[in-house]
Amino acid sequence: DRNIMSAFEAQLFSEIDKLRVQLLNNVDIIAENQRAVEEISQDEILTQIEGVILGIMTSLSRDEVPILVLPNRSSWANISFDSAVGLQMSSEHSVTSIRSDCPSSVTKFAQILKILSVIYRLVQSNSYATKRDIYYSNIQLFGSQRTVDSIIDDISCMLKVPRRSLHVLATSKGLISGDLCYLEEDGTRVDCHPSSAVSISANIGGIRNIISSAKFIMIVEKDATFQRLLDDDLCTKLSPCILITGKGVPDVNSRLMVRKLWDTLHIPIFALVDADPHGTDELSECRSSMSFEAHSLTVPSVMWLGLLPSDLQRLRVPEDSLIPLTKADENKLNSLLKRPYLTSQPDWSKEIELMQQSKVKAELQSLSSIAPDFLTNIYLPNKLRYGGWV
Amino acid sequence: MLREIRQVLRLIQLMGKQRKRSSLKNTGALLVLLWTEKGSSHQRLNCTVAAAGSWCFGIEMQTLQADLKKVLLPDVWPCPEPDPEELSAFTDLYGSLKFLLNFQCVKDVMSFFQMKNPGHYSSKWQAHVKAFLQTFGLTNAGIRIQLKFKIHGQKSQHDFSAFLISKVALSVQPPLILDVTCSAQPWCNQRGLWCQKGHPVVGERFPLGIPPKAMDQGLFGELSVQIVSLLSPCVLQYPHLPTELSRMQVLVFSPSNVPVSAPSGFFQTLPVALDYQHLGLGRMHCCSSKASPDDPVHSDGVVFTVERENWDDPERQPSHLPVQQSLLVLLFLQHSDPFTSELTDKMDCELLLELHLEDILSNNRQAVTSALQAELFNTMKALKERKKKREKLQSAAEVIVSATISIVSSSSNMDFRNACLKHMKVRDTHELSASLRESLWRVSSWKRLPKVGCYSAQVEGQAASNEAVRAEI
Repeated sequence: DRNIMSAFEAQLFSEIDKLRVQLLNNVDIIAENQRAVEEISQDEILTQIEGVILGIMTSLSRDEVPILVLPNRSSWANISFDSAVGLQMSSEHSVTSIRSDCPSSVTKFAQILKILSVIYRLVQSNSYATKRDIYYSNIQLFGSQRTVDSIIDDISCMLKVPRRSLHVLATSKGLISGDLCYLEEDGTRVDCHPSSAVSISANIGGIRNIISSAKFIMIVEKDATFQRLLDDDLCTKLSPCILITGKGVPDVNSRLMVRKLWDTLHIPIFALVDADPHGTDELSECRSSMSFEAHSLTVPSVMWLGLLPSDLQRLRVPEDSLIPLTKADENKLNSLLKRPYLTSQPDWSKEIELMQQSKVKAELQSLSSIAPDFLTNIYLPNKLRYGGWV
Repeated sequence: MLREIRQVLRLIQLMGKQRKRSSLKNTGALLVLLWTEKGSSHQRLNCTVAAAGSWCFGIEMQTLQADLKKVLLPDVWPCPEPDPEELSAFTDLYGSLKFLLNFQCVKDVMSFFQMKNPGHYSSKWQAHVKAFLQTFGLTNAGIRIQLKFKIHGQKSQHDFSAFLISKVALSVQPPLILDVTCSAQPWCNQRGLWCQKGHPVVGERFPLGIPPKAMDQGLFGELSVQIVSLLSPCVLQYPHLPTELSRMQVLVFSPSNVPVSAPSGFFQTLPVALDYQHLGLGRMHCCSSKASPDDPVHSDGVVFTVERENWDDPERQPSHLPVQQSLLVLLFLQHSDPFTSELTDKMDCELLLELHLEDILSNNRQAVTSALQAELFNTMKALKERKKKREKLQSAAEVIVSATISIVSSSSNMDFRNACLKHMKVRDTHELSASLRESLWRVSSWKRLPKVGCYSAQVEGQAASNEAVRAEI
C-alpha cells in the first residue's frame, strides 16, 4: 500500500516537479535572495523625510509656495515591464504637484505632512502602526481610511521606499493553510497545518524560520472557494501543499506572503480564479503590479491553473451555468489584452481571447453542475497531474 | 443753483434721448462755469453751462427759446456773457459748442446778499456742486466735465474724466457708460499689481407702483427701477486675501441718468428691515451722506456702515486684517408714459419723480428692501465663499506647521535642525512655529491669479486720482 501511495504521489507531482525545475533554471535565485535581504536603513528614511521638510523651508524662505511632487501612480505610461520582476515604475515618469496655496490641494498637502510626521516618529522609535491606527489618530483631517491608504502609497512612491520600511502595516485580510510553519517577528510560532486557516501576518517582513515541504502553492481568488477546498480536505488530498486566499483582490500582505514563500521555497505557484474578467484581472495582480515596489509584491512565475475559458468548452460545462459578458466585461478584457506583460504570455492572451469570442464567463462554482465534488476530486487533481496550467 | 444745473443736464440728456442718440455718441465734454462779474458792485452768481461733442449731437440752440427757458428754469434771470477766453479754452480742447446757456439764479443771488461769511458758505457750496458733477460723471463716463469757479476773485478748476469705463447693458434704456475706476486701494498698500477697475453687476429690475399723491400731481405711466452694483476695491486677482464688507452707498438716478437726492427718510429705516443672519453680515447703520476719505465723493447718496467682527482682536496681526470693501448700489429709475412725448412733459415727469421719490419708495418698501437684500446677499455669497476657502487654507496650515515642527523638534540631526532654523531666520523651534505660520499665510494670501477682466497697474502705495488723464483702453 505504501508503495502504491508513493507511486500515486509521484505521479501526482511529476508535472509539478518538472515545472519547478524549469522555474529554477529561469530565475536568478542569488540576485533575488540579495534583493530579498536588502532593506532600506532607518536613517535613510529619516533623512528622506527631513529632505522633504527642508524643501518646504527652502521654498518659504524664498517666499515661494511649498509644493510636494508625487509620482503619478495611476498612469500606465509611468510603468515598464520586466520579465524578471513584472511591472515597475519607469525612471522617467509623470508627476502630480500638490500645492499648499490652493484650497483644492492644501488638505492633501497637510495630510501628507501629518502622515510623514507619524512615520518619522515610528521609524525613529522603531515601532509600528497600522494604517487603521493612523486613520483613527485624526479622523477629521483624513476623512476616510481610503485617503490614508492612498497617501501612504503616495509617500512610498515619493520617497522611493517600500511601504513596510515606513513602519506602517496593513491590516491583513488574507488566510493561509497547509504544510507551513514559521516564526513571527515577536517569536510567535505559526503552524498552518490544522484544517482551519490562519490569518496572514501583518508584518511579513518580520517572518523567519519558514519550514515547509509543500510541492506547490495555490492562490484561491474567493474566500468561499477557499473554505470549500478546506472543507473537502484538499490540503490532505494534495498534500503537501499550501493554500492561500486574499479574499478577493489580494491585499499587500497576502501578496508579500506569496512573494516571501516563493523567495524561500521556490515552488510553483498556481492561481485558481473564476473564468471572468475580474478573476483574470486579479490573476494579473499576482503576477504583476502597478506598485512602486513591484519586485517585492509580485511573482512573475504564477501559473493560471483554472478556471480557464478553454476548460468550459473542454469540460462541456452546462450552458445554464455560463453567464453572458456585459459591455463592462468586454471593455475590461480589451484593457487586459493591452497590458504589457500579456505580450510575453501568449497562452494567457489566447484564453482571454477565447473568453471574448465565446462571450461568456463562469465561476468556479459552475463545476458543481457537472458533479458536486468535481472541483476537489477530479478537476484540481487532474489539472495538477497532467500539467493543465498556462 | 444746483437745482438749475440739474435741470439743464436733464434737458441735454432728454434732448439726446429724443433724437435717439446711440450710446456710441454718448461722449463729449461739459463745462459748468460759476462766476461773479469782475468789478461789479453786485455780487450776483452767474452760471454758464456749455457742452460740446457727440452727446449734444443734433441740439439746435434756436429751439431753446426764451419762453422754453422760462418754463424749464423759472427762477433764473438773464445774465451777462461769460469771459470769451473761458469758452475758447473749452472749445480749443473739446470742439465747437453745441449747447450754451447762461443764467443767474434768483435764490442764490438773494443768498449771496444775506450771507454773513461768504468764504465759508462758498467753499461748502462749491464742494456740493463738485460732488454732484462727479456723481453725474460716474454714470455718464463718456463725458469729460470741467467745473470752474471764479468767485470773488478766487479761481479754481476741477476736471473730471473717467480713467476706466465699462459699458453696462440695462433692460430698458440704452447701455450705460459707467466710470469704474477704483481709486481705493487695500489697507496694506502692498506693492503689487492691483486691479483699478470695478466690475459692475447688473441686478434685478422691478416695477414700482406710483402712489396716489404723485398721480394727483400728474405722474402716470410705468415706473421701474434697475439696480447696478459695484464692489471695490477689486480683489479678484487675490482669491485668498481676506476681505469684509464695511460700507454700502446707495445713489439714485432719474430716468435721464441725472443724479437725484436719495431720500434719507426711507433709507434710514432700511437697516432695521434687513435679515443679517441670512446675509451673514454685521449690523448696518445709516450715516449721513458722507463719503469715506478713501472714496470719491458722491453727493446726494446714502451711506451705510457695517459693524465689523473682531476689529479689536489684539492677537491678530495688522498685516492679517481683512481688506475693507465698499458696495456702491446704483438705482436707475425708469419711466415710460405713452401720453408723454413733449420735452417739457418729460421734464415735468422727472421733476415729479424727484419730488415724490420718498413717497414712491415708501409705497414700494417691501420690493425695494427685498431687492437691496438680494444685492447684498449676492455680494456676501462671493465673500462667504472666499472666507470658506480662506478657512480651509488656515486649517491646513495649522496641520502643516504642527507636523513640520514635530519632525524638526524630534530630529537628532543637528545639521538638519540648524538648516531649518537658518532658512526661516529664527533662533529656536518656538520662533520657527510662528515664522512658518506667517510665511504660509503670506504665500497663500498673496497668491495672484491674473483675471482677464481686471486692469492691473503697479501700485506703489498711493491711491490713484480720480481726476487723472483718460487712459487709452
